[in-house]
Amino acid sequence: MNAQMLSLNQLKQIALHREAFIYYIFFFVLFFFAIVLHDTAFLTFSNFMNIVKQTAPLTIMAVGLTFALAVGHIDLSIGSVVALSALVGALLLQHTGIPLAVLGALLVGVTVGLINGLLIERLQVSSLLITLGTMGIITGIARQLTNLESVPIINQDFTFLFGSGKVLGMPILLLWTLVIGGCAYIILKKLAAGRHLLAVGGNPVAARAMGIKVTRIRLYALIASSTAAALAGLLYAGRLHGARYTLGEADLLTVIAAVAIGGTSLFGGRACIVGAILGTWLMGIINNGLILSGFSTNEQMIARGVILVIAVAIGVKEIRNG
Amino acid sequence: MVRSSLDQVALELSSIKKSFGGVHALQDVTFTINKGEVVGLLGDNGAGKSTLVKCISGVYAPDSGEIKVNGKAVVIRSPEDARAAGIETVFQDLAMIPEFNIVQNLFLNREIKHKNPILRWLGWLDTKAMTKRARKALNRLNTRIPSYNEQIHNLSGGQRQAIAIARAVNWGADIVIMDEPTAALGVEQSAQVNDLIKVISSQGVAVLLISHNMQHVVETCDRAVVLYQGSSVADVAVAEVTKEDLVGLITGAKKIAA
Amino acid sequence: MTLSRNLQSCNNYNFISKSITFAFTLLVTSFAAPLLAVDFNSITNADKSENIKLSQQQVDSLKSKKLTAALVWHGSSAWVNAVSQGAKETFSRFGIKVVAVTDAQFDPAKQVADLENISVLNPDIILSLSVDSTSTKNSYRNAISNGAKLVLLSNPIEGFIHHQDYVGIVTDDMFGMGKAAAQLTMEALKQSGKLGIIYHDAKYFITNNRDHAFRQALKSAPNIEIIIEKGFVKESETSNIAAAMVLQNPEIEAIYVSWDSAAEGVIEALRSLDRPDIKVITHDLGVNNLLDMATNRNLYGTIADRPYDIGATMAKLGAAAILGQRAAPVTIVPFDKVTKTNITSAWQQAFKKPLPKLLTQALQQ
Repeated sequence: MNAQMLSLNQLKQIALHREAFIYYIFFFVLFFFAIVLHDTAFLTFSNFMNIVKQTAPLTIMAVGLTFALAVGHIDLSIGSVVALSALVGALLLQHTGIPLAVLGALLVGVTVGLINGLLIERLQVSSLLITLGTMGIITGIARQLTNLESVPIINQDFTFLFGSGKVLGMPILLLWTLVIGGCAYIILKKLAAGRHLLAVGGNPVAARAMGIKVTRIRLYALIASSTAAALAGLLYAGRLHGARYTLGEADLLTVIAAVAIGGTSLFGGRACIVGAILGTWLMGIINNGLILSGFSTNEQMIARGVILVIAVAIGVKEIRNG
Repeated sequence: MVRSSLDQVALELSSIKKSFGGVHALQDVTFTINKGEVVGLLGDNGAGKSTLVKCISGVYAPDSGEIKVNGKAVVIRSPEDARAAGIETVFQDLAMIPEFNIVQNLFLNREIKHKNPILRWLGWLDTKAMTKRARKALNRLNTRIPSYNEQIHNLSGGQRQAIAIARAVNWGADIVIMDEPTAALGVEQSAQVNDLIKVISSQGVAVLLISHNMQHVVETCDRAVVLYQGSSVADVAVAEVTKEDLVGLITGAKKIAA
Repeated sequence: MTLSRNLQSCNNYNFISKSITFAFTLLVTSFAAPLLAVDFNSITNADKSENIKLSQQQVDSLKSKKLTAALVWHGSSAWVNAVSQGAKETFSRFGIKVVAVTDAQFDPAKQVADLENISVLNPDIILSLSVDSTSTKNSYRNAISNGAKLVLLSNPIEGFIHHQDYVGIVTDDMFGMGKAAAQLTMEALKQSGKLGIIYHDAKYFITNNRDHAFRQALKSAPNIEIIIEKGFVKESETSNIAAAMVLQNPEIEAIYVSWDSAAEGVIEALRSLDRPDIKVITHDLGVNNLLDMATNRNLYGTIADRPYDIGATMAKLGAAAILGQRAAPVTIVPFDKVTKTNITSAWQQAFKKPLPKLLTQALQQ
């Protein structure tokens, strides 16, 4: 009897858990479109692969941002890092091979994260302001770097590796999503590093008192965030066979919304990688579903907002009733 | 009372001084704590209690003076130094992560890693081993906990205090400093904490208890050290003085040669 | 080249500023791939949109096929809306259903995703303007792999072969437009006078060609003297440029400026200098400047293309291609010379919509 009560209680706990929220929303929206678009190709394997491929860079950005949010920082510079890393990668590919180009592009991410982190810690200013500033600087550099020119990529190995490739019938972009998502999941759930990350976000004073190097952990989290954005830049470049200063520009808000809807706290201490990935896929599904439903652009915008609000409302209700 | 630990000195402070700019927070603090002894640190607001706690636990480095642990001089410049010397602090805010569960908090920054050397190098957590040890540590303190998966913010104040104490003792501390452990607790929970303090001191741990609550000091402490304007002005056996005496010492109305 | 489509949008500042930014990027594209542009020869040899006709028999045959079409645009504006409107209404006459309309917001990544999304609908016809030929090429290739007929607006796609990969390109006659602007200038000055030119000083195919054709055509009017030329990069600069120009050369009688929203700055400057005598000639239709024209102020005339007809022509080409008909590589859609007398008809010609009320009222006064 007692044991039963407990398991019931536990079930309730799971249902009430903030992380469960995204599942309700995700499946609600999926169900909704599956019904509305039953006579189109919405519910086909290739359509879902499309969505996964389209959202791959966003997913990687979302996973990275989850790290920054876990320690209680926001990183607004990720969109601009996408552009700069893609441009740097594409430019390097004109002179060297893939390894150096990739290294150079990722180094953009590491450097930006390091600068963000050091500025935040040294100046003791909110990450919102610092990364807003670096976002402007990086956007400017990206625009300046090629004088607004787009840089084509003709290296087919590169476009295979970061864009159109398939491994064992699986799109390589899905593979990237799963590998990066899997690593992030393990770090946050299974490794001491993730524990410390969340501790710093949950209660920095306590974390410091327990001997955790709070400053260093925050720095690592910001580096993870912008390095993931740099990788997203490479994925864009691979997908588009070239880089352009506008890449990633429009992604920041989508990524923040996806991560938040996925159950990660915007104020630190709670992070959910699976939620972040489902969150970006959700955005992709809504986008895809609305295009397939034949709405005009303006109608799509309105419908996107309405669906998000309804989905969130239903998710909240389900959880309350849980 | 429990002065039986052969008067082995666990912690010895001599002439600790600390000032911030022109403010002399600690002028001359000298006293000792023996093994298994519970010493109350008393003093009015601003007498220097919290500064002293921070000097011992490694948050501040003292300007001068000597700290000896088990007879050996130690230099404490950080919380890690303090911990390495065997000094654990139970902070007033308990230094807990509210979203973490009991086990996660107990092992914060001292996680048990996986046995596999590769996973261990990665920092892979051995959750099973930690849960097992958590159960042991809490059993040792006779504390009953509903579920080890419970998040800290779902626990009562007394339970949190117990976990904070368990965390300190679990790391084999010789000296545990407790900052106002009963300040936010009700009568029953305060009594539980008092029991806990007795349990750990009976296991040979030296306890420095900072408290405003005279009743609490009288009930749990063997001795009391009184700080007045940054200096230790009295060191008395609790059994030999009255509460009124202590109040007099705290307010500076009464003086005893330390 | 590309996207001067958006330069022609009416009265949408945000859109225009974005489009101008975009224009600079094109600069590069045209450097990188000079072969890509629709050149002078292909335009002079182009088919005319009025020649594209389908017989009743062909229409009936299309109706029986239950075809679908998708419109994959680069951005949104009143101009793009008019193109979509033209395409949709034409398709509906053929019984073709438009199943998706997308807007890439000038973002190649978005356009690639849009193409992937519409591909699963397997449309029979795709009408599109490519934001960036290099990065979107694969997705176009993929979208047409099931046999969809692709009709392009203005921009060719690198490596795509006429007939095999796409039906044809529909564009407007930028050379004719430049020439017509010169004719309007001659009318305004009655064949002689002093002219200032404010041209688009960026490498941008459509505006460059129009400006160039304008200058060429002016040579036939020897009494019109170009006393000053100034380039601009941003639309916001034209007001200051025009003011400086007039202050230095008060004898100036007319100013040519590259397009409508850039002309707004010029007209504003002329107003603040109180020079209603100076005539302005430009391209495209915008409500603000048309109001100025309707009230007999500075704007003498403008050259307007016909977005609705562009959409309709694209739709016809796509439908005809389904029936195996071959289109010319380039089909041009005519334009209108617009002065105060024909504002109403030109507007209707371009947008197939009634003139905005404000303008009707202004014209009635």
